[in-house]
Amino acid sequence: MTEVSAVVKPKPRPIIRIGLFLISHSLFVSIVCCIAGVLALLLLPVLAKNTYISENALMPGSASAMLSTDDASDGHVFVNKIMSISSMSINSGIEIPEMIAKHIIESGGEVNYHKFQPLSDSFHPLQFFVGPDAGMVQDNYSSTSYGVNTVGIVRAPRGDGKEAIIIVTPYNSVKPTTSEALSLGVAYSVFTLLSRVSWLAKDIIWLAADSRHGEHAAVAAWLRDYYTLSSGDLEHEVTSVKRDGVSNGFRRAGTMAAALVIKVADSSTGFEKDGLKIYAEASNGQMPNLDLINIVNYLAVHGQGLQVRVEKIWSLLDSWWLYSLGELQELIGKVAKSLNPGWKFGIPASDYVEGCTTLASSLYNQALGIPTGPHGAFRDYQVDAITLEFSPRFSSSQRVLFLLHVGRLVEGVIRSVNNLLEKFHQSFFLYLMTSPSRFVSVGTYMIAFALLIAPLPLVAAALFSDASKSKSPGESIPTSPAWNWLYTAKTVLIVHLWGAIVTIIPYFLRQFPDSSPLISLLTWIASSAVLLFFTRAASSSLPFSCASQLQTSEWTLLKAVTVAAAFIGLCLMSVINYATAEIGALLLVPMCLMAVPLRIDATAKTAKTVARGACNVLLVFVGFPPAAFLLSKGALSSFDGVRLDDFWNWIESLREWNSATYIYICMVHLPCWVLCIHILLHRR
Amino acid sequence: MATSFKFKPLTISILLLFLCNAIASSASGSSSTTMHTNNWAILVCTSRFWFNYRHMANTLSLYRTVKRLGIPDERIILMLADDMACNARNKYPAQVFNNENHRLNLYGDNVEVDYRGYEVTVENFLRILTGRHETAVPRSKRLLSDEGSHILLYMTGHGGDEFLKFQDSEELQSHDLADAVKQMKEKRRFKELLIMVDTCQAATLFSQLQSPGVLAIGSSKKGENSYSHHLDSDVGVSVVDRFTFFTLAFFERLNMYDNASLSSLFTSYNPNTLMSTAYYRTDLYQRRLEEVPVTNFFGSVMETIHTDSPYRAFSNRYYRKSKTEMPSDQSGGGNQRALEDSDVLEELADPKLNAIQVGCPLTHTWNTILGRMEKITQIDNFVNCGVVLMFPIVALSSWFSH
Repeated sequence: MTEVSAVVKPKPRPIIRIGLFLISHSLFVSIVCCIAGVLALLLLPVLAKNTYISENALMPGSASAMLSTDDASDGHVFVNKIMSISSMSINSGIEIPEMIAKHIIESGGEVNYHKFQPLSDSFHPLQFFVGPDAGMVQDNYSSTSYGVNTVGIVRAPRGDGKEAIIIVTPYNSVKPTTSEALSLGVAYSVFTLLSRVSWLAKDIIWLAADSRHGEHAAVAAWLRDYYTLSSGDLEHEVTSVKRDGVSNGFRRAGTMAAALVIKVADSSTGFEKDGLKIYAEASNGQMPNLDLINIVNYLAVHGQGLQVRVEKIWSLLDSWWLYSLGELQELIGKVAKSLNPGWKFGIPASDYVEGCTTLASSLYNQALGIPTGPHGAFRDYQVDAITLEFSPRFSSSQRVLFLLHVGRLVEGVIRSVNNLLEKFHQSFFLYLMTSPSRFVSVGTYMIAFALLIAPLPLVAAALFSDASKSKSPGESIPTSPAWNWLYTAKTVLIVHLWGAIVTIIPYFLRQFPDSSPLISLLTWIASSAVLLFFTRAASSSLPFSCASQLQTSEWTLLKAVTVAAAFIGLCLMSVINYATAEIGALLLVPMCLMAVPLRIDATAKTAKTVARGACNVLLVFVGFPPAAFLLSKGALSSFDGVRLDDFWNWIESLREWNSATYIYICMVHLPCWVLCIHILLHRR
Repeated sequence: MATSFKFKPLTISILLLFLCNAIASSASGSSSTTMHTNNWAILVCTSRFWFNYRHMANTLSLYRTVKRLGIPDERIILMLADDMACNARNKYPAQVFNNENHRLNLYGDNVEVDYRGYEVTVENFLRILTGRHETAVPRSKRLLSDEGSHILLYMTGHGGDEFLKFQDSEELQSHDLADAVKQMKEKRRFKELLIMVDTCQAATLFSQLQSPGVLAIGSSKKGENSYSHHLDSDVGVSVVDRFTFFTLAFFERLNMYDNASLSSLFTSYNPNTLMSTAYYRTDLYQRRLEEVPVTNFFGSVMETIHTDSPYRAFSNRYYRKSKTEMPSDQSGGGNQRALEDSDVLEELADPKLNAIQVGCPLTHTWNTILGRMEKITQIDNFVNCGVVLMFPIVALSSWFSH
């Protein structure tokens, strides 16, 4: 009998059976996957690996530092000169660049001034894909308020001149602060040393960037001109012989191997040691090669004894729930170790909390897509760059010592990068930091994201098959579910189109520069709502619409398509910016999965349905982008200072920095949120 | 004449010597009995890039050592995969050091690099070993060894299980090496071959060797790494590998007259200081290591016997001339080696002028007779005395006969 039945009805292939099984148990699977996804995210600090120098050629710390106390005291004299100029009453902003140029020439380098005007901001959301557009170089220095970058170059005595290492020191040329002067002093002492050494294989460029118009703008303007041949370039080459050897022509020195932005913090650390804070996030969550961070960290810790930190969210540090989670994983680790000494996982609870806060900060900064310093401008040209912010613990008498330590660190990093034979390529580009010496690589953190979004296609398939099965018996029109699916897809598509229009509304609102942020935000929301209403009305009035004939199963189909659209959006975003996709998935996935028409819940009136309804309302509330932003801001600091116009400013900054997160919010998150509301309010 | 009678044993001995030489040369069909005629060294640094400075320093150190111990430049094939001396990162332009004290510049005068940069390939290396060059390759880049050659093959670089990396792009496998050595053996390109390798898992490179007369020593066993000895913080790189460092330390104590044996070299490696286990493979090698001086490979010093006696048979003048050329301590017999510099070596390298003492008893007896003969100071005086003595003897005998 069994044999006969097997012959008659062949079993489908195992992969299909597994798929069918998962779809039929989609509720259970999605709950398990979501919980596992969140757990995996929380476990990332435990799974983090210690960093290691992956590239053999780097050899950090193998050469002893050559920067002497004399160099450091030269740097100190330089700092004092800048401060004396800065304290002068009349200052046109050209004295300090001239002074720097004079010193560079004295130490044997080449100099030129780079005049620039900050670009008016324009929205290039796809700059991430195509790179900065080099075509638009304007030569109209009509305004007097241009900035002056001073560029000094040391040529490698026996190098091939094809590569360069950049040191950047942003400072305000009109009124430099003491800390800015100190960073210039560090760069000067290193630069003079490098002009003497015989081991350079790459040229050294010192960019003293005029930060009057913002640090990033100055560096970005210089980089733009570095990579484009402007029309004045060739003329200047000919007529560049000017007084005291300063050339007005643009000087270049090969491909950039790495760039270090040196800053000195205004506040002191309050620790025993001098501190160093590393900023690495560039636009759209791009990171420099991990090796660059590794060598800085290695040299700072082992060479100069600095206290290295990366950014963390301080308010999370004393949250009780994080600490108890840490203790829980520590306990599990201990139990596992007692069972089998070979199992070594679990880290001390305090380390876990530290790791979590750093990870959260790393995730947030990457998700934001806004560079955390002038190094972001380099990443746009695929140059690995980081910002080193030193925070001295000194009283001013110990400045020479501070200059010595920091100068030696910078020298060590430059010597290490100088050893490099190719671009940085050995180590990771996709990672999250959990401490300066620990990281989570892409292979690990993608697990959390994959678990989180795995239920979406399953639920979509399950809903679709449900909808096609449960046809009401009195159905008169022979519409196949496939056609219904198309109608709902049309709805989803229209809502996404609406999202695209919402994306560009702020661009028009920018035309009224006088309006306050709050008014702008409210205008934006209102105009979006009106637009949504009109698109709905227009789409339902279309001749081929069959909204009237929609079946009872319409909302399940709508949900299926919404879920599928969310899945596609999240997957696309994870390719562009993982961190945005991860945070977005945390909000979007539960909202999309839970959505059930409130009317169904209301009619059933059991405890379960009421709870589900409440959950839905809560999730939809949290899922509204302004609400999510303000809630998280309030939770991290305090609710007192939270104002609605913060959101507008935040969105504006995302837009100005060409962050892909802005596109994601408007074109993936918002439409899905609107569709979820649509499902909730669906009349039966 | 009594004088002619007196010289009879001498002529017999000369005849015997010729006979003995004839026997030796007729037995030279098998290479184990071939005379050791000359020494060659192939020194290979297989890795490029600045951070592999130490490999070039290793090779150049070995180059300096074998040159000091008497192998002339034209018998050394030096392959350097990169040029550290002129690297822009080198703090000391045109100099290479193997120690942080910077006392010895390995890249000083008289360094003849035969294969440099991208010429150092597996193909070229195998061509050198097997002698299958393209016609345009000059003689100075060829291994012109013969069946009496002792060859030192030193290689350093990055290796792994049964391979040695060349130039970051290709590999020499243990099969390739064994095959090349086998071809060399068949072509009678060497008598004895010492392969010395300083890489990670160096021992694995020898696993396929089959040819007799090959002795192999590696810096580490399978699964072990070979480490660098120390870092020169001035230059900013590691400057020498441990195995090579201790090999050099051993040789720095020697000059070319020393009798240190290979076994004393091999036992000088201490696994604790080496941080790996030096491995040597002797099963293909016939002689006992205790009896083989290191200079058989690392120098160009051979056991010699002087066959100047044939000249004496013809003319005293010839004899005197050859005698003045002989080093002063010639009379000892047995294990004597004499070599002043590479010019003398050139003469000695001629197989007709020197021969290994292959244990022929006749040669040995002849040597002792020769030794004694030389103690008798002057033949002319001896003859004159004999003539003077003859008169009283003749007178006396005639007086008795009367």
